[in-house]
Amino acid sequence: MIRLAAALVGVVFGFTLAWSGMSDPDVIRAGLLFEDLYLFLFFFAAMATALVGVQLLRRSRVRALLTGERIEPETLRPERRHVFGSVLFGLGWAISAACPGPVAAQLGQGIFWSLATIVGIVIGLKLHTARARART
Amino acid sequence: MCVRDAFATQAPWFVAGPLLGLCVVAVLALLNGRLGVVGGFSDVVERVSERSLKLGWKGTFLVGLVGGALLWAVVSGGRADDGYGWLTRTFSDPAVSLLLLVAGVLIGFGAKTAGGCTAGNGLSGNAFGSRAAVTATVTFMAVAVATSFVTKWIWGAAL
Repeated sequence: MIRLAAALVGVVFGFTLAWSGMSDPDVIRAGLLFEDLYLFLFFFAAMATALVGVQLLRRSRVRALLTGERIEPETLRPERRHVFGSVLFGLGWAISAACPGPVAAQLGQGIFWSLATIVGIVIGLKLHTARARART
Repeated sequence: MCVRDAFATQAPWFVAGPLLGLCVVAVLALLNGRLGVVGGFSDVVERVSERSLKLGWKGTFLVGLVGGALLWAVVSGGRADDGYGWLTRTFSDPAVSLLLLVAGVLIGFGAKTAGGCTAGNGLSGNAFGSRAAVTATVTFMAVAVATSFVTKWIWGAAL
């Protein structure tokens, strides 16, 4: 049930990403170059909606519908890894003009250039695991 | 205007943005979870390397995401195949494959290290009020904008 619910939210998320043109590298690049404000308007509208919804949920003290857990949005203190990781992520985002959600949406739309990016993401995740293991 | 036309044109930002934001709210309300996409990729990679197909909810979310984009392509008629943006307008096909592969490594390693991508940190983390997510978002936005301008400066106008 939990997995099915997550998949259904995923369908809405993927449909919206594709419909908003986020899977089109030209839309993201035009946004990052400030030639078209759509990317930032879209992103901040999404964030603002999420912010209001999340804070209302937190204050209403309801339990999660499917798991029965108390709703506790996780917050973290900034560490060096958040900056270091995001520098690398920002580089990859700008080069590919795509981030993980849009890459997955490209795959769904049959844009097969996404396969190269996905292979890269898998390698990157494996490198992260290897590095975490080497450090312990 | 028929349904196909409505979905074939880019959704207004004030429709698509809130729709995306509500997905974050839904995952929290239903599962007490933080919506993210890199977590989904991790889930799938871990399960596959264990030779198991029993995905967690982050993995099924990713599968749903791919399906949702497919659904959009079916409903709207999809988008004309015109290459891959500035990359295919600037570089040869083998070079584009290599650049996308390298970008993918940076995205996968970077997002996992930073504990999230544009969705996990940029949308969910910021909405949760996580200072780590704000730090990550400011960083990747600044780096992505700067990198885009530098690449435009080096390789010229191809957007």
